[in-house]
Amino acid sequence: MLKILFEKTAAGADALAVGFRPKKDGGLIFRPSAKLPGLEQALSLKHRFKAEEGDVLPVLAPSGWLVAVGLDVEEDQDEAALRRIGSNLFGELCDGGIEHLAVALDLGAEEAAELAYGMALRAWKPAAKYRSKPDPDDEWSLTAVTIVTEDPDAARIRFERLGIVAEAVSFARDLVVAPANELTPQAFSDRLADLFGFGVSIEILDAKALAKQGLNLLLAVGRGSANPPLLAVLRWNGGKKSQAPLAFVGKGITFDTGGLCIKDEEDMGEMKGDMGGAATVAGLIRVLARRKAAVNAVGVLAIAENMVSGAAQRPGDVVTGYNGRTVEVVDTDAEGRLVLADALAWTAKNCKPSLMVDLATLTGAVESALGKKRAGLFCNDDDLAEKLFEAGEEEEELLWRLPLVDVYDDDLKSLIADIRSCSWDDMAPDHIHAARFLEHFVPKGLPWAHLDIAGTSEAGDEEDGDEPITGPGPTAFGIRLLDRLIDDMVEEDEEE
Amino acid sequence: MKISFAKPTLPTEGALVVGVLEGRALTPAAVKADQATGGQLARAIAASRFEGKKEQALLLQAPAGIEASRVLLLGLGKAADFDALAAEALGGAVIAQLASSGDAVVTVALDGLEGSTLSAPEAAAAIALGARLRSYRFDKYRTKEKKEDKPSLKKVVIALDAHAEAKKAFAVKDLVAEGVFLTRDLASEPANVIYPESLAEAAKSLSELGLEIEVLGEKQMKKLGMGALLGVGQGSARESQLVTLRWNGGTKDDAPVAFVGKGVCFDSGGISIKPAANMEDMKWDMGGAAVVIGLMKALALRKAKVNVVGVVGLVENMPSGTAQRPGDVVTSMSGQTIEVINTDAEGRLVLADALWYTQQQFKPHSIVDLATLTGAIIVSLGSHYAGLFSNDDDLADKLTAAGKDVGEKLWRMPVDDPYDKMIKSEIADMKNVGEGGAGSVTAAMFLKRFIKDTKWAHLDIAGVTWAKADKPVTPKGATAFGVRLLDRLVAANYEQK
Repeated sequence: MLKILFEKTAAGADALAVGFRPKKDGGLIFRPSAKLPGLEQALSLKHRFKAEEGDVLPVLAPSGWLVAVGLDVEEDQDEAALRRIGSNLFGELCDGGIEHLAVALDLGAEEAAELAYGMALRAWKPAAKYRSKPDPDDEWSLTAVTIVTEDPDAARIRFERLGIVAEAVSFARDLVVAPANELTPQAFSDRLADLFGFGVSIEILDAKALAKQGLNLLLAVGRGSANPPLLAVLRWNGGKKSQAPLAFVGKGITFDTGGLCIKDEEDMGEMKGDMGGAATVAGLIRVLARRKAAVNAVGVLAIAENMVSGAAQRPGDVVTGYNGRTVEVVDTDAEGRLVLADALAWTAKNCKPSLMVDLATLTGAVESALGKKRAGLFCNDDDLAEKLFEAGEEEEELLWRLPLVDVYDDDLKSLIADIRSCSWDDMAPDHIHAARFLEHFVPKGLPWAHLDIAGTSEAGDEEDGDEPITGPGPTAFGIRLLDRLIDDMVEEDEEE
Repeated sequence: MKISFAKPTLPTEGALVVGVLEGRALTPAAVKADQATGGQLARAIAASRFEGKKEQALLLQAPAGIEASRVLLLGLGKAADFDALAAEALGGAVIAQLASSGDAVVTVALDGLEGSTLSAPEAAAAIALGARLRSYRFDKYRTKEKKEDKPSLKKVVIALDAHAEAKKAFAVKDLVAEGVFLTRDLASEPANVIYPESLAEAAKSLSELGLEIEVLGEKQMKKLGMGALLGVGQGSARESQLVTLRWNGGTKDDAPVAFVGKGVCFDSGGISIKPAANMEDMKWDMGGAAVVIGLMKALALRKAKVNVVGVVGLVENMPSGTAQRPGDVVTSMSGQTIEVINTDAEGRLVLADALWYTQQQFKPHSIVDLATLTGAIIVSLGSHYAGLFSNDDDLADKLTAAGKDVGEKLWRMPVDDPYDKMIKSEIADMKNVGEGGAGSVTAAMFLKRFIKDTKWAHLDIAGVTWAKADKPVTPKGATAFGVRLLDRLVAANYEQK
């Protein structure tokens, strides 16, 4: 656990981080706190330090460990840049022997909080409980950071808000990294009880309730598993009673073997993370509750395990969804859209939201299209799409809008049912088909967006410049951007 | 196919086509035909599910009372929605329904529609264009086709009062259709017929239209330092070519708009050879070049008042003892070095040099390239949109609008910094493929490195160049996607009025 403090001085630290800007013609501009005796000489030995944004270089100066930090921006640092610097600082120094770092970059209170936020987002690792004895390579030496700022109180207040998000991101990442023999559907729902203490009401529809209410698509996906499926409903009511809630729906496949259309070993490796959408939704509701957001929100998690067994669903099965539509199941590995279909229809009917956003690690095709840099955004409402896109740009959780139009529907025509779940053509735009499929389960007129996060839910290769601000591992993609979206919307409402 | 315009009278031979609006409302020509047949049209409609909706058709064989052999009723949909694309689709439907009917002549009787945004002559010209485009057939290699299997239809007559105006409006459109047909021919030809030199010859023959054509061979390209393009062609027994087609219809010294096409006349994949299944499709991996050549023909034919330069890089990508290998490093004309990781990502290598050459040589104000570049774009967007990548919002908007107008739709894709590091090479300035998805985006990022500060757009047309099924104005096969789009782009934005 990393402790983050805001102080007026750097007292108690064993290393000091100071800032530089690059000169246009080469050379460095020293930020005020960097004007330290001997530092210039120490740095001159290291010609490669260009002070580009986020560059981090520890040097041994006569006074002890100093860390040169690049801040390649003129006056006002933008939020995203500061967060990235914080993230890089922690990433570079967490296991280098420094225990208590002071950061003296001459930052204002807001800036200090943003930098701390970047550190907090980066300072996550899988729980130690999965090892029988500690792995020294895995231990952080860096356990405390003091960020020096003139107004520590203001920084603390700002960071309180941001820290809530960082904690929720860690909460979601813990869920994603949990192995599937630990995080069964039931265990997933048990973990959600954590939110109860923050004022979230929790309703669980178990398999029996699902059958009674007719969520047959969700049941069909879970049939092959000894761990039955469920629907978890998390409600945060911070808004006016009369206000329709915002709904967020997440795909929560705790493990995806592909079912009878079983995946090959290479593709199956990361499938414990196929509940990333649901983890994000749980994390988001946690943020809203902890920051007591003035909004009504509901998070609906469709949780199931997609296994192979004698009871598993077969390709060609026809299943009647919650909204009465019949679905011909084509590929049992296109299961995410089935559980979401029922979850979306159930949410629309029972929660009567004013808008609905779902997140899912849904298709490989979206990664073919956008890689790990941007998630696919499908939306039936231009205004909502624009807001999501903008929120994503600001939070560096990047989206790209893709087509959601009827010309693709011919590929989903079934010979025997209302619709089929996908096409067999492996060059087909499956992410678009999936989005079109989902749209059949969303009532007309309800603004709805679908985020296909299959590419962005896990960090890519650092070499390819793929590393997100959260560093390696699961990203909990979507919490930050949706929190921003809600914040902006609430503010807009208040202005009206 | 002969297409003509005439006064509205009931035909004395062949088939008659009349329109019916949604709600089974007969157009005036349909009313006339109905009266002449003693109400048979109305009875037939009443006895059917035909409601006059778009794409609906009802065929009456040998109705009594008129001389026409048959009457085809086509649904027009709502008058307010009857735009140019709908009219073109209607013309396409005439061909689809009647081309092999046995009739040699069809008369389409349709005057202006009240409530439509199209005037009568505009609608007629659009119907004619749709019929023309749909009538395309590439049958030169069928030596034993029976007469009854060949289309019977030879002539389309469009009957309306303002027939002279319609004829005039169609004349210009028909010139663009000629460009489309050239493109479809070139893309349909097998690779033993169309290879770099023969495709360059085909381009050269357009000089009679007033186009200035220049062909560079391997020697000249070597001199210019086009190591990227030449590397792709070095495995083939055929010589690579770079062809420039210039149309100077604008003011002298005005900077031109440039169109650059990928012309891989056959793409075996090279040493990174493709799987056998569907490799024959790779004869149309010169689809981008074919579009540029067809477009230049269209612009010359219609004497466009604009300066345009078209550049096509023509190569054949073959495995052989002289072929380039994965891991080879080549130096492009720009001086930038490229590590060739996959010899089947060759289109971008050809374009890299063609784009650089175009900018150096012609200083265009804007540059649009077309290429059947990546399989990933097929997965990304299917066959309904081409991928649009651009460094300029205004150019991207213009292209999107032009595509919407002519029914060749584009979807914008990202080409921005987050993706740039994916093509970082261990040994050279860049590598020719990235890993971890976004294959179309990294291809575009690669091309972007060969663009100076020119406004640029890249159209990845791999998913739209060949149609597996018939479309309203395009029979299955080569679509020539891009010719009409870019002709519209030029007409709407760059031509002197």
